[in-house]
Amino acid sequence: MKNRNSIFLFLILTFLYSDDFNVSSSIKSGYCSSYDFYDFSENLLDVNLFSNNVFAWMQYEYSNPPEIGFPLNDVRKFRIEYSAAGLSLKAGDIYEFWGRGLLLNQFDDQVTNFDNGTRGLFFEYNKGPLILSHLNGHSDIWLMGQDARIPGYNNKHNMMATRIHYDWNKVSLGLTQLKSNEIHEKALNINPTAILNHNLRGTYLSFISDNVDMFFEYVDKISAEKVDGFDINPNDTLKRGHGVYGNFNIYLGSWALSTEYKRYAFDASHTDFTADDYGNRINFQQMPTVAKEHNDALLGRLVHNYNYNDERGIQFEINGSMGSLSLLAQYAHLSRNHTWQDTARNNWVSKPIDNYLPGSDPSSLPYVENYFETSGYSFNDRLYFKIGLGNNKEVLKTNWFFNGEQRDVSSYYVYDTTYNEYDYYEDFPIIDSSEFFDTTQYYQVESKMWQESKAFTIPMEFNYSMNNGYTIGVGFQYQERNFYDRLKGNSSGYNTSDSAWVMENPYGDTEYFDLKTSKLRNRDYDDVDMQINRILYLSISHAPKWSLTITHDWTNAYDGPIPNDPYYNPLEALLYGDFQYFLGKRNSVAPPAWVQNRWVSAEFSYNITPSQRLSVMYGSIQGGLFCSNGICRVIPPFNDGIKLSYSASF
Amino acid sequence: MFKKTIYIYLFLSVINAQEKIPDMPIKLLDGSNTRLYEFLKDGPVIIDFWATWCAPCKKLMKHLNKFHTHFSDNGLKVLAISTDTPRSMGKVKSYIRSKNYEFFVAVDPNQQVMKKLKAELMPTTIIVDREGMVLYRHQGYYPGDENKILKQITDYYNALDIDYKPYQTTTL
Repeated sequence: MKNRNSIFLFLILTFLYSDDFNVSSSIKSGYCSSYDFYDFSENLLDVNLFSNNVFAWMQYEYSNPPEIGFPLNDVRKFRIEYSAAGLSLKAGDIYEFWGRGLLLNQFDDQVTNFDNGTRGLFFEYNKGPLILSHLNGHSDIWLMGQDARIPGYNNKHNMMATRIHYDWNKVSLGLTQLKSNEIHEKALNINPTAILNHNLRGTYLSFISDNVDMFFEYVDKISAEKVDGFDINPNDTLKRGHGVYGNFNIYLGSWALSTEYKRYAFDASHTDFTADDYGNRINFQQMPTVAKEHNDALLGRLVHNYNYNDERGIQFEINGSMGSLSLLAQYAHLSRNHTWQDTARNNWVSKPIDNYLPGSDPSSLPYVENYFETSGYSFNDRLYFKIGLGNNKEVLKTNWFFNGEQRDVSSYYVYDTTYNEYDYYEDFPIIDSSEFFDTTQYYQVESKMWQESKAFTIPMEFNYSMNNGYTIGVGFQYQERNFYDRLKGNSSGYNTSDSAWVMENPYGDTEYFDLKTSKLRNRDYDDVDMQINRILYLSISHAPKWSLTITHDWTNAYDGPIPNDPYYNPLEALLYGDFQYFLGKRNSVAPPAWVQNRWVSAEFSYNITPSQRLSVMYGSIQGGLFCSNGICRVIPPFNDGIKLSYSASF
Repeated sequence: MFKKTIYIYLFLSVINAQEKIPDMPIKLLDGSNTRLYEFLKDGPVIIDFWATWCAPCKKLMKHLNKFHTHFSDNGLKVLAISTDTPRSMGKVKSYIRSKNYEFFVAVDPNQQVMKKLKAELMPTTIIVDREGMVLYRHQGYYPGDENKILKQITDYYNALDIDYKPYQTTTL
């Protein structure tokens, strides 16, 4: 700490005595208090100093507790940079990305508390068509475990990475390598910490022109675990994987077609389970998802759980304009790289999908989405409208998946218990097993069970701007969603004690199941076939000063634990006419039924100055991606709480 | 001692009332590399941080494109910096081309330019003069905010006695 202080003091003095010294800073503060103990207080101060070719940055954090992460009252990040004549040097917290991130993509995302930056040194020579880059340092990457707000475990990397990049007219070629020695703490601390070595080598190629763009990246990864013991060959622990990503875009007038392909095959596992294995891609690898990033809350809640270790996919997106009308059509299809089959319960065998495209077999966990949107302006640009339609279908996991032959071993012996001629064995009957009957038969069994989710969503938004600077807006999102267990086949399950698939009548006319059992329940714990989600928001703003948005979010069913919400807020009470609430008769022991599936909130934002913004949100929020008052962010759920946020730049 | 250092930083921050942006390398959507100060040679620059998933950002861009074309004779440039990560970078150019936007577009996939210019929220709009001094900074977008941006541009030209074509707006 003392050394770090001295460094900063030295930096300040250096900058103060330089000719062209500049300093700027920004503050971002957040405070939240809610009845369900979701509280936080976090403050971030960023200070930038620069003079001629030198740039320094420091981020100080005071948070106790933060929204996500550990409490801190210290310098969180710092970096000093020097760049001149094609040379760039950086020391401190470094964030770099190469290609599309299949090998290296570093960022600090405080919303999700993911930070894979490196504290170390970075050197880059950039002259003419050639760029040489080298990064060396230590990364301490904390990952979320069971707790939604406090990180559970970390991966420590001593890493070095090198890149050679060459531009030749419209073509660019890059060669990359990353080596890391990792101390890999396992998720949930179930397994012991592993000491690993990773060696990644990659290449990327891009072509950019007026009407066509192409990008291709490939990375190869070899990982090994440090082993103890004389009889273990370290090469036995080698795990090898690769990743491929391609992007091809065509532009014709005001129309653009974007196509993407991915195939990430680092470590495979059946169903939705991802083994915390050293064969996994490492945290520096943050690659394209090849699906749409939605900015509507209900579609945002249906985000596919991407598997960067084992997933392939394609995506097409058409963007275009016709006059003042904008059109968008998108389609994506993803799946695992293998289909999986049970040979017995919990004994999975994989088979690679034959071609390069994603699969549709439920055991490959396919995910298909499409989205259409039209937006534009009318009434002399006063009215803005947007109407969309999104469809998603996903197999979330396979519980079992068997299709094959089962042997019914019904052989039995006929015992001969007659005494033989030997007196010695007089008291012991000899079992003559020479006679037996074997009725072993084979029969076809199909027993497949998986979880499937289907949804369609219609988001729409209208804003009307008036002459006096006021804008009124209304938005409505409607979603129907099914989430069920699917059981298909002539067997209803597996009997572990008999080690056999269960069938009613294997030899006769057996029943063939094709069942859907909804996993959705309402507040009374009754099964519900369809979840209906709706969000309505009304807003009024006066540019450039303030904006007020009231949001009403409601549902009829849940696919997980049913939240208990005794802390309904005054907005909810007002909306539903519970005037007793305001007379001090808030019933928190047995709150009214209408409040339970609803979340009402109001947010007021005020621009104190153009560079200072204060926002106050009061109410309850279900959570998910939330766009309000011109800002989009992911918000965790909380009930009857207040959130204050302030940001300023100086 | 350390707290004193922080106070010195803060003090310096406050006394430096007018902020200057640092020069830094940026990568444009056409694949070329340049530096931020290259855009300041002919006149003021509107720097706008946006992303393909940010709906308010897209509403603002329509107006920024009009400013870019209308005031181009006066040296004004709009530089829209996409903060899309490598995960969605492939769609940035498609979106821009489908809208026929004529302003300059740069990519900042790991948000390092965004952090150096202290853009805390999306969208953030910064107007910078030829010397790199920040004239105006605005966070978020409400319909009508474009009028405030327009006023800053016209005030800048008026202060320097530069003639410009009057700009017709629907809600000014």
